[in-house]
Amino acid sequence: MKGLGRRKPRELANVGAGLWKATGMWAWLLFRISGLVLVLYLIAHIIVTSTARWGGEGETFDSVMQLFEKPVFVFLDLVLVVAVLYHALNGVRIMLMDCGVSTQRHKVLFWSAMAVVVICFAIFAWVSLTYIITGKGVTR
Amino acid sequence: MVPAEKGTGRVKPAVARAHRGGMWAWLFQRITAALLIVCLAIHLLFTHILNIGQLGYENVAERLAHTSLTAVDIVLLAAGIYHALNGLRMVLLDYWFTSRGRARALAVALWVVGLALMVYGTWALWPWIT
Repeated sequence: MKGLGRRKPRELANVGAGLWKATGMWAWLLFRISGLVLVLYLIAHIIVTSTARWGGEGETFDSVMQLFEKPVFVFLDLVLVVAVLYHALNGVRIMLMDCGVSTQRHKVLFWSAMAVVVICFAIFAWVSLTYIITGKGVTR
Repeated sequence: MVPAEKGTGRVKPAVARAHRGGMWAWLFQRITAALLIVCLAIHLLFTHILNIGQLGYENVAERLAHTSLTAVDIVLLAAGIYHALNGLRMVLLDYWFTSRGRARALAVALWVVGLALMVYGTWALWPWIT
C-alpha cells in the first residue's frame, strides 16, 4: 500500500504529459499509418496478381512470383504482416469497444490485442525465416 | 459591437466530426472488417503459409479450381476495396476534404476508383469464376 497515496488521481494522470504520450493516441496514429500502407498494398496486389491474365499461360505471373519469392521480398512480407496484424487486432479492439467490452479498461484490452499480434507474428516469422534460411516451406 | 473572430462559427462539436463519414459507411466498414479477418486468415494460410516457395501459375490455379477458395478471393476483393477506400476517405475527410462539396466529390471519385478496381479484379479472376 506504500506509494498508493502518492499516485495521481486517474483523471489527472495524463494532464501535462502531452496528448501524444497517451497509448490511445499512438494506437490511433499507427492504425491510420498501417491502414494507408495497406490501401497502397491492396492496389499493388490486385495489379501484380492480375498478371496471371497478361497473355501466355501465366508466364508473366511466374516470373513476377519468382522475383517475390527472393529472401528480401519474403522479409518485406513480414513487415507487411506486422501492418496487417496490427491493423486487424486494433480493429477488433475497436469493434469490441463498440460492443461495450472493456470500456472501463482500455489499456488491458489494447495490450491483450497486442499479445495476439505477437503470437500470430511468431507463426509467420517461423514460416518465413525457415524459408529464408533453408529455402523450404514448413509443410513440405 | 465586437465582430466575431473569423472562422469560429465553423467549428463543429467533436461528436458531429466523429460521425461525419455517415452511419451506413460506419456499419459497412465493420461488416467488411469482420469478413476481411475471416477471409484473410484463410487466404494467408492457404496461399502463403502452406505454399511458401511454391507460388506460381500452376499452384495458384490448382487452388482456384476449388469454388470455395475462389469465393474467398471474390469476398476479399470486394470487401477489401470497400474497406480500403472507405478508410482512405475517413482519413482524407480529416485533412482537406472538409467542406460538404469536397467531401461529396471525394466520395464520388473513390466510388469510381473502387468500381474500376472491382471490374479489373473480376476480369483477372474470370477464368476461375466461369
